[in-house]
Amino acid sequence: MSVRYALLALLSEGPKYGLQLRQEFEARTGEVWPLNVGQVYTTLQRLERDGLVESEDDAEEGPQKGFHLTPEGHAELTDWLRTPPDLSSPPRDELVIKVMVAVRMPGADVHEVIQVHRRYLIELMQQWTRLKEDEAEFDLGFALVVDAELFRLDALVRWLDAADGRIKRAASEPPRPESFPMPKLRRRIGARP
Amino acid sequence: MSMLELRKISKVYGQGASEVQALHEIDLWVDPGSLVAVMGASGSGKSTLLTIAGSLEAPTSGEVVVGGALLSEMSRNDQARMRRRSIGYVFQDYNLLAGLTSVENVSLPLELDGVSAKKARAAGMAALDELGLADRASHYPDELSGGERQRVSIARAVVGDRQLLLADEPSGALDSTNGEAVMRMILGACKRGVAAVVVTHDAQLASWAERVVFLRDGRVVDQTMSPPSPESLLQPAPHS
Amino acid sequence: MITKLDRPPAQALPADGGLPARRAVVRWAWRLFRREWRQQLLILALIALAVAATIIGSAVATNTPQPANFGFGTAQDLATFQGSSPSLASQIASLQQRFGRSEVIENQTFTIPGSINSYQLRAENPQGPFSQPMLSLVSGNFPTGPGQVAVTSGVASDFNLKIGDLWHQGGTVRRVVGIVENPQSLLDEFALVAPGQVKAPSQVSVLFDAPGVSPHSIGPGVLTPQSVAGNALNPETISIAGLVLGMLLIALVSIGGFTVLAQRRLRSLGMLEALGATDKNVGLVVRANGGVVGLVGAVVGAVVGLVVWLAYRPSLEQSAHHMIGMFALPWLVIVLAMVLAVVATYFAASRPARSIARIPIVAALSGRPAPPRQIHRSAIPGIVCFVVAFLLLGYAGAGSGARPRTPELALGIVALVPGVILLSPFCLSVMARLGQRAPIAIRLPLRDLARYRARSGSALAAISLGILIAVIISLVSAARYSNVLDYAGPNLASNQINLYTPNGPYGQENLGPTQSGPSSASQLIRMRKTADAIAASLGSHDVVELETTSASLNHNAPGRNWSGPIYVATPQLLRSFGIKASEVDPNADILTMRPGLSGTSEMQLTYDSGGGVSAGPGQGPGRGTSASCTAKNGCFPNPVIEEVGALPSGTSAPNTVITEHAVHALGLQATIAGWLIETPSPPTAAQITNARQTATTANLTIETKNSAPSSSQIIDWATVFGIGLALGILAMSVGLIRSETAGDLRILAATGASSRTRRTLTAVTAGALGLLGAVLGTVAGYIGVIGYIRSNAENGGIAALGAVPVGNLLLILVGMPLIAAAVGWLLAGRQPSAMTHQLLE
Repeated sequence: MSVRYALLALLSEGPKYGLQLRQEFEARTGEVWPLNVGQVYTTLQRLERDGLVESEDDAEEGPQKGFHLTPEGHAELTDWLRTPPDLSSPPRDELVIKVMVAVRMPGADVHEVIQVHRRYLIELMQQWTRLKEDEAEFDLGFALVVDAELFRLDALVRWLDAADGRIKRAASEPPRPESFPMPKLRRRIGARP
Repeated sequence: MSMLELRKISKVYGQGASEVQALHEIDLWVDPGSLVAVMGASGSGKSTLLTIAGSLEAPTSGEVVVGGALLSEMSRNDQARMRRRSIGYVFQDYNLLAGLTSVENVSLPLELDGVSAKKARAAGMAALDELGLADRASHYPDELSGGERQRVSIARAVVGDRQLLLADEPSGALDSTNGEAVMRMILGACKRGVAAVVVTHDAQLASWAERVVFLRDGRVVDQTMSPPSPESLLQPAPHS
Repeated sequence: MITKLDRPPAQALPADGGLPARRAVVRWAWRLFRREWRQQLLILALIALAVAATIIGSAVATNTPQPANFGFGTAQDLATFQGSSPSLASQIASLQQRFGRSEVIENQTFTIPGSINSYQLRAENPQGPFSQPMLSLVSGNFPTGPGQVAVTSGVASDFNLKIGDLWHQGGTVRRVVGIVENPQSLLDEFALVAPGQVKAPSQVSVLFDAPGVSPHSIGPGVLTPQSVAGNALNPETISIAGLVLGMLLIALVSIGGFTVLAQRRLRSLGMLEALGATDKNVGLVVRANGGVVGLVGAVVGAVVGLVVWLAYRPSLEQSAHHMIGMFALPWLVIVLAMVLAVVATYFAASRPARSIARIPIVAALSGRPAPPRQIHRSAIPGIVCFVVAFLLLGYAGAGSGARPRTPELALGIVALVPGVILLSPFCLSVMARLGQRAPIAIRLPLRDLARYRARSGSALAAISLGILIAVIISLVSAARYSNVLDYAGPNLASNQINLYTPNGPYGQENLGPTQSGPSSASQLIRMRKTADAIAASLGSHDVVELETTSASLNHNAPGRNWSGPIYVATPQLLRSFGIKASEVDPNADILTMRPGLSGTSEMQLTYDSGGGVSAGPGQGPGRGTSASCTAKNGCFPNPVIEEVGALPSGTSAPNTVITEHAVHALGLQATIAGWLIETPSPPTAAQITNARQTATTANLTIETKNSAPSSSQIIDWATVFGIGLALGILAMSVGLIRSETAGDLRILAATGASSRTRRTLTAVTAGALGLLGAVLGTVAGYIGVIGYIRSNAENGGIAALGAVPVGNLLLILVGMPLIAAAVGWLLAGRQPSAMTHQLLE
């Protein structure tokens, strides 16, 4: 999520000052994403230039300057909400690459490699979970962010579990001729920056 | 002193050609007040580990010590008493007894132990109340939702000051919200000093534990280190 | 380490949880029963039916006969005197002096004008110490003074009386003050007057208590009530025997039901164990369920039985002709029935309870049924039981009629039961082995029957026992009825009436010693006229004169006695049965319809050669059984016996007659014994009563068809009973056994088996169980009957089994399994929903 749309989103609730925008942004994301003041103002200026926000003209530049959303800005935000993020091409995932290398590398215990990663992921998840446990009545935005992180890590653990099982099965079966469409896939993985 | 100690537990099913080694020299200990998760794929032997720990099954070799008492030296009746007094189970499919109301299900272990029905009921009500189920006390299991049923079975597992809680896929068929609630309850029991073992293949559930033990083909292959403080998560600059 | 249970109030709680644990477990069982009683409806209905039937049956059986204290009231002794006796007053006084409290009832007999009926003028104290059960007031008051009388409703209608009327009776005028009745006999018609008002009593009864004094020692005509309890075969013991057998069958059937039920609750029971219930507690759930089923069934059955009884009681009072108390029930039998119901189901549930407690907890929790228990395959214990039964029955059979060996007989029959139960599992495994090469739809159910022997075995045993009873009844009655010497069966056809002169076969018994001796010619003429009159009143002209001689048939073997009269084959008699003289062998001495008699060797005709007092036939057993059989000692060896099928078959009818040829050859004297009247249609009860009244006036006695059934009736009823019982048990158990393998069925269906396969599975299960049950029951029955008959000389030994009821046995052995299979085939088409839901729970 870009800062640009985050600010538009905050302004959609009503006119706000620059400093207020920064504080609210951090609060909403559970202080997971720190933001510096400079970033906020550069972005606001760009938005004003594009006619998506308007500043209150009578106020001077600075943290006390108020901004509000223009109808164009509202339209832009609504549009953005409904635009799906680009998930069509897989991200370059280091974990996947490491496991694939371990499969090919002579002498490497791929299960051990997988377990190292699994343990690391679980430890990470334990820390995230601990956050939930500590704050019984914690902020909704924060909860959503923590959940997202847990589910992302969980997905990786599951992939590791699946890979573990698949490799185990493959080892017990006779090796098949090298014919899987690896080159094509490789190209796609590399396609995304 | 550990609440539960497994010493070199092995379990072999079948004989001869059809012999299956379900567990291989497992060592595991659980201290009072701690929550240990056992993770592993299906067939890794994690459920067998739990049934052996809970005296539902005898190991082929090795020793199980619950609250300082050696299970192998107990008669069947003494083991049953151990289950009534010290061990609570939570199963994936709740396993509430159909003909009994929530509170009767919860107070059943006490009654089986010879506590008078009145006292047992009071204890059961207290346990239900603690889990926010007081208004469901006189409902039958088939009148409860899945989450409520699992909460009742947790209440039954902890009623009467039991010190060891064994849970096998406790959130099995529940959604993540209910699953989380279940884990919070188990954690709550641990805060009171109960030792708990949760067997699961779900990483999110396992991550509630302070220690995760990884089981693979009947052997303990790894376990998590004591995790650093969660504050460390907030330190590194996140992805934008 | 020291064992320390973290349980602050570690009081001295019992190790197994004690009473609270048992209460909790029983409460759960009760709740489960309340939730799932429909699944146990079959067993419940069976038990309720058995209890209700026992209550009604035993109530009717014990209440139908005249009360044991009939005529006695509450007294223990009754002395009867002729009213004309001169020493009457002193005799009564001496009784009163000797035994204290007593009560005198005076009767004077009056005939009702224009009627053959009579009534008694009776002086009886309504407040008497003993007679209260014999007198009750229907309306009005009891008579208190000389001018008052109370009458029964019968007398009131005969004389057109009502309360308040004046009645001129026997020269006295009395006012009718009430309507009364004798609750012990509604047929007792009398007019009640106050004590002392009967002037010329014809009979005086004295009621008194003489405990411990033999009635004969007090004087002639002193009686005590016949002790019902003294007879081992009273209605109560018969009810109890039937009840025990019925409950045994129910228990056998319900073992399967409780096994399936326990299996269905396997996971819950596993959970209970995981919660810390002991094996005992787990078993208690199943046992308690059994007990609860028994208890509910017993209570429902008792209520149904009592309601039906109360509804039926008034009609029973009418047909039994005496009042029956609302709660005059055999309470012992009822309580026993209810207790037995609970005990039977409790023990039926015990076996599944034991096996369920043995299942490992983990297996139970996952709902994995235990591997079928291997129960004794060996046939030896069963065979041992059969051998014991065979020997016991053989010993019992050797006892004679005078000294029956009843305990051995009962023990022998009882020994057959465990034999059947123990052999059932073995038979199933043999059956499965036989079916190993059959197609899958046959092989699978046979193997399932053998694998799940715990329930199919008990079902098979129950079926076999049902058949066993039927076969024993059939064989014994066939053997009994095939005895040509001691002939059994109905006495007469329903349209036949026998009239006997005092010389007839029953005459002397009935009329007492003073009346014996040959009747004079004038008396005979009067009797013959009366016989004709009776025949005419019944619309018949078919009167056959029956003549007897002193001749009697005997078999030259001890213990084989002839029964039945031998009349003379007069031309009139032969003619009336459509037998032409030319059809009869002129040399024949005896004509008979008893099949097989003509082929019996060593028969002897014994007769009174001295020409003294003629004795009736069939009187002297054992006469002429000495080795020498000559004319000197009145014995004629090996008479020519010809079988003539046209003779009537009744035991009292001339089924065996001596020819005139033999009468002349032996120089026998024929006397008229009576007349056989054949009416166009069976006479009504009223006609019979009138005929009896008329006959009495001429010193004749009358005999009509009794209720004894014929052999084929008994065998048919036994067959129908056995097949019905077997099919009923099959219907209940096949469903249970098949539901056990519902999982297999689903898999079969998933692999593409058609409903035809499903039908075949059920049909084979039912048919195989039926066939095995029929074979096992028949074999056991034959073993028992052969054991008994072999050594029983009275019935002619093993030869008596020559008369095999082939048709009935075929019906049992072939028909019943076929019916079972066909019904199974038909019913299996619709898959019961319980089958699919069963494993979900």
